[in-house]
Amino acid sequence: MPSSIAITRVACLWAVLFSLFIMPAAYAAPEEPAGELMIHSYDPETGKRIIPNERCLTCHGDEKEKTDVRDDGSKVKIFVHRKEIEASVHGKLRCNDCHSTIDRVPHRKAPEVIVGCIDCHKETLEKRKKEPDGKTERLKIVNEQVGNYMQSIHAQPSKLDQSRTNATCYDCHEAHNVGELGSIQRDEKRLKNPEVCGRCHEKQLKAYRTSDHGKAVLEKADSKSAVCSDCHTTHAIDAPETDKAKRAITKNCGDCHKDAQRTYFASYHGQVHRLGYTNTAKCHDCHGSHEIKGPKDPTSEIHANNRLENCKNCHKDANENFLTFWPHGDANDSEKYPGLWTFKIFMQTLIFGVMAFFWVHVLLWLYREVKDRMEGKGFIEDLDKPDVVYFRRFPLVWRWIHGLFAIATMTLILTGTTLLFSHTGWAKAVVAFLGGTEMEGIIHRTAAVIWLTIFLTHLAIAVRNIWRNRSSFEWFGSTSMLPNMKDMRDLRDMFKWFLGRGPRPEFSQWTYWQKFDYWAPFWGATVIGTSGLLLFAPEATAIFLPGWMFNIATLVHAEEALLAAIFLNSVHFFNVHFRPERFPMSTTIFTGVIPIEEFKHDHRIEYERLVASGELEKHLVRRPSRRADLAASFITTVLIMTGLALLTLVLIGLMTSPN
Amino acid sequence: MGVDDMKSNEIMNKVIRNLILAALALGPAAVLAAPSGQALSFTCAGCHGTDGSSVGPSMPAIAGMDPGVFIDAMKAYREDQRNPTIMNRMAKAYTDEQFKEMAWFFAGQRLRSMPQKHDAALAARGADLHKKHCEKCHEKGGRPGDAGTLAGQWMPYLEYTLGDFLDGKREWPRKMKRKVDAAVAEEGKNALPALIHYYGSQHQ
Repeated sequence: MPSSIAITRVACLWAVLFSLFIMPAAYAAPEEPAGELMIHSYDPETGKRIIPNERCLTCHGDEKEKTDVRDDGSKVKIFVHRKEIEASVHGKLRCNDCHSTIDRVPHRKAPEVIVGCIDCHKETLEKRKKEPDGKTERLKIVNEQVGNYMQSIHAQPSKLDQSRTNATCYDCHEAHNVGELGSIQRDEKRLKNPEVCGRCHEKQLKAYRTSDHGKAVLEKADSKSAVCSDCHTTHAIDAPETDKAKRAITKNCGDCHKDAQRTYFASYHGQVHRLGYTNTAKCHDCHGSHEIKGPKDPTSEIHANNRLENCKNCHKDANENFLTFWPHGDANDSEKYPGLWTFKIFMQTLIFGVMAFFWVHVLLWLYREVKDRMEGKGFIEDLDKPDVVYFRRFPLVWRWIHGLFAIATMTLILTGTTLLFSHTGWAKAVVAFLGGTEMEGIIHRTAAVIWLTIFLTHLAIAVRNIWRNRSSFEWFGSTSMLPNMKDMRDLRDMFKWFLGRGPRPEFSQWTYWQKFDYWAPFWGATVIGTSGLLLFAPEATAIFLPGWMFNIATLVHAEEALLAAIFLNSVHFFNVHFRPERFPMSTTIFTGVIPIEEFKHDHRIEYERLVASGELEKHLVRRPSRRADLAASFITTVLIMTGLALLTLVLIGLMTSPN
Repeated sequence: MGVDDMKSNEIMNKVIRNLILAALALGPAAVLAAPSGQALSFTCAGCHGTDGSSVGPSMPAIAGMDPGVFIDAMKAYREDQRNPTIMNRMAKAYTDEQFKEMAWFFAGQRLRSMPQKHDAALAARGADLHKKHCEKCHEKGGRPGDAGTLAGQWMPYLEYTLGDFLDGKREWPRKMKRKVDAAVAEEGKNALPALIHYYGSQHQ
């Protein structure tokens, strides 16, 4: 084949191929008239019909025909406010994005309102998460609320018709008028909230209309006053008889009534409630719920004439004295509650005074003993002369009494501080562990009875001992517990010793700090015991005492207990167990005996007196058995660890206290 | 023939061979595929005109028809649920998928209607009646949509069809009877001719 022909052939082939691409376009272009074709009314991706909102609004936006007639002849509202929906948060969506079952206009069958909000919100959030914008955070909250709703009573099947939920999104949200946060619609929505809820909850709305909240919202259009959702929450709504709902409502009252809530939580009622239990009085138990009014309104539940009835709901035998109880007594308010304030100031001064004094005492003592030991001074165990001879310091009865006393006191501290520190997580856990606040009350009262019994038993024994020895008993003798002038001198000399300005004083049978530890419970028993007895059975107390005594009793009971708890578990522990000469512990209170060398060091005057009088021999005993020693160490360790744990809990409570 | 010629000839042969191979490879795909919507629609052209723009006055134009309406009509004919002339027999020959293909084909066509002889005064009256009673469903003066095609439709066809509705031969769509009754109540026996003349006046 000549090459020229071959070239011509190739050129022709290319020309034909080229024309195949060009020609159809050249023919089609001038023929295409303007205007959309029917296929453009369909989404090319999904093949679904695009129904513009305008098409829907032709009928549903017609102000002249807001209703239509159903196939059965009944009237039906079909009107949708065009401007509202355009201004709403969903304004840019297509009608059938939500009304997803509508695919034909005009409707071939009578349409049903079938709208599912949940999936769309979830899917939109998932998409938005990839490219977050200003609305993503809000959408997260919307989805949280969706979750809350799904757990709520509203999302449960209706008892009258199990095919429906009790309420769904658009029963409350005006479907076409959902405003963005802060928009006019939101304010309007707040004001409409009672009416919206009242569509189903008619009785409650009727009562609400008469309330202070209701009057402010419905009559004065004050959107700041409480509407249904402020108390019941918006989505996590539970049946009001559930504990969850009661807790939520009480918490929500405090969102506006902050002071009232603070003072409520300081009361026994509030403490129990804050632990998560609902068996004590809550806001609505006294104030009423939907019909809530101020105290001056004679129809109000807290009007003076009606209040006792409320008390009687729980305190069946409540008498007139209950009316003088201050349910919101505020110890910080010296003008309104001067009595309560005075007691608080007194108790706090006492606590700060005692603790400040003894903690300084502890720190200086620690400093001195550490310094002495570094210099090789002080009481040091002689390893060449192991303890063999012991001095009997406590008879069996005192050892039992101390053991039981310690256990009872610790039980009282644990159960009592859970109320005082009801805001803490540990308090809630402890109460749950013990089986609830009622069980805790029983344990606390039982421990209190044991404590007082031990105290009185001890008193009886002590009095009997003194009576038996009345001929020889010296009230201010070396074995007497009564404080004397030497104790004052010892205290002064101890401080001198702490500061390196004198020798360590020599003590008799009882040192001044031991006497303080001994006499402190007398004061404690008086204050805690008396106030505790008043609180033990409120109805009985109110027979002869005014109601405000409960306020005072609650305050001093707690403050004094706090003092005891901190003192015993820090100062007492240091003095007896933790100071370097004794560290890690002294088991004398359980073995009843002390190594003679240690006795000689701490109680030299008494030792010398006994030696001089020849009485020492009868107090000397052999070293306790190894098992007795181990048992005493074990018990002491357990008690010390428990005490330190309690001290930690108390300090956590104090440091995290919202007041 | 030189060596070079031999070479170029060989290359040329290879090009042609490759083109043929390519055509053979692609050809069967085109041959074996189901007939396209357009191919299926050739059958319709005899009555409904080329690409669905009918030229016979009693034959409805189906160009630019809403695919949903098209499929509904074809299915109703196939199931003998709509009074036919011959469409019941035609429709039985097609599958749902083929209805869909055809529907999409006609949806892609532009309706080209012919001018029709009409009474302008009657048509103006019809325009009022349409606006009042018909526009919400037959939007934009009855242009192709989910309620069918009225604007530019053949007047004899409209007359026959309305007659079928009135005679009970064809089931009224939801609400339509109520609307037609309202138009008749307002305008009397002229109502339907007025509407027909209005639609007939709107060729495009």
